[in-house]
Amino acid sequence: MTKMASYEANEGRKNVAIGSYFRSDYIGWQVLKSIISASIAFIVAFGMYIFYDFEVFMTDIYKMDLLGFARYILEQYLWVVGLYAVISYIVYTMRYSRAVKSLRLYQMNLRRLAEMYRQ
Amino acid sequence: MTTLLVMKQIIMTLYSKYEVYITPCLKFVLALVSLLFINSRIGYMESIDKLTIVLIVALMCSFMPLNFVIVVSALFTVLHLYSFSLESAAVVGAGFLLMFLLYLRFSPKDTIVVVLLPVCFLLRIPYVIPLAMGLIGTPASALSVACGVIAYYMVHYVAQNASAIAAMADEETGAKFRFIIDGILRNREMVVVIAAFATTVIIAYLIRRLSIDYAWTIAMVAGAIVDIMVLLVGDLMFDINIGLFGVIFGNIVAFLFALVLQFFVFNVDYSRTEKVQFEDDEYYYYVKAVPKVAVSRPEKKVKQINSQRAKTVQKTRNTH
Repeated sequence: MTKMASYEANEGRKNVAIGSYFRSDYIGWQVLKSIISASIAFIVAFGMYIFYDFEVFMTDIYKMDLLGFARYILEQYLWVVGLYAVISYIVYTMRYSRAVKSLRLYQMNLRRLAEMYRQ
Repeated sequence: MTTLLVMKQIIMTLYSKYEVYITPCLKFVLALVSLLFINSRIGYMESIDKLTIVLIVALMCSFMPLNFVIVVSALFTVLHLYSFSLESAAVVGAGFLLMFLLYLRFSPKDTIVVVLLPVCFLLRIPYVIPLAMGLIGTPASALSVACGVIAYYMVHYVAQNASAIAAMADEETGAKFRFIIDGILRNREMVVVIAAFATTVIIAYLIRRLSIDYAWTIAMVAGAIVDIMVLLVGDLMFDINIGLFGVIFGNIVAFLFALVLQFFVFNVDYSRTEKVQFEDDEYYYYVKAVPKVAVSRPEKKVKQINSQRAKTVQKTRNTH
């Protein structure tokens, strides 16, 4: 009973929040947040890349194939965000199934406790 | 040994009884120590390099989630560096931002390592963290440890080269930027330390999960040896001047700390191991049961001897 109360107060609270979503809704929402995070991270990294050699970049900008450069950056962006989204999908799928399994166990224990009280 | 076990029992009982007060106190101490270390190492901004400010912020951290300590520490670091040079603040700030966005947002339970590891680096005992995380963490802890190492070396590089960065003219923004980024990305010592610590975490984790006797002790020894080996091989390959004595002494300290951790987390008696075998309708079970070492807390009985009072009562009765 103490363990159940502790679960309810700590880990259980998070699991209840996860369990209140449908599987696809939860994973979809988390992957969407991951895509936004990865996009911001990519912009930060790209900014650092440009600033690293800003003077050279500014002198070369008139000579370079801007369309080709944009395509290259877009490809890199899609790779980074895609890979990060796949990793997030795996992590959150595992987290969801673990939370649901844990909640199921908690409910089973609750039922057992209720039966003990009835007896 | 029995005394130690009784002490452990008392500590655990006290912690569970006063957890509400002890946890914020520990958070306060952690925040205080990390902020004081940041101020002592890179205290460029005078307005936040004051004990009163640090105390107030640490007090605030004690009532917030643990990850808030990381955010505050990162903020303090960036503010100090901003006072020193905008370029270093931008580079280190971007590094922290990438860590928060890509890894720490998953908020695993061991993100606090990112703060603890730089503190341990300054105390010259960084080897404690990978060994401890291998014993109580998961393989993902290797990523947390790597983030902690990167955070330390970013700040360490700027602090070490402060005079060189300050000597560059204000107009040389691009050159400053390149100098800092190159210094951080091409830091071979950082790469070797990340490789050593990540390997230690994974090796210690894999061994302590094995179903063998004394798995934790073997994991501790193996983890410490692997740590020393990888650091020394890295030193030979890249010539990074890692002190042999420091590495060995640091790993001995880490091993001793791991022994304390084992005593509190995984104290079992292998001499009373039982192997049982049973079945139900669906499965056969081959179970190895290792009993935990535990002693019941001795109860103190207070015997009241009220002989004086009893005698007085008897005397009064006799006179009547």
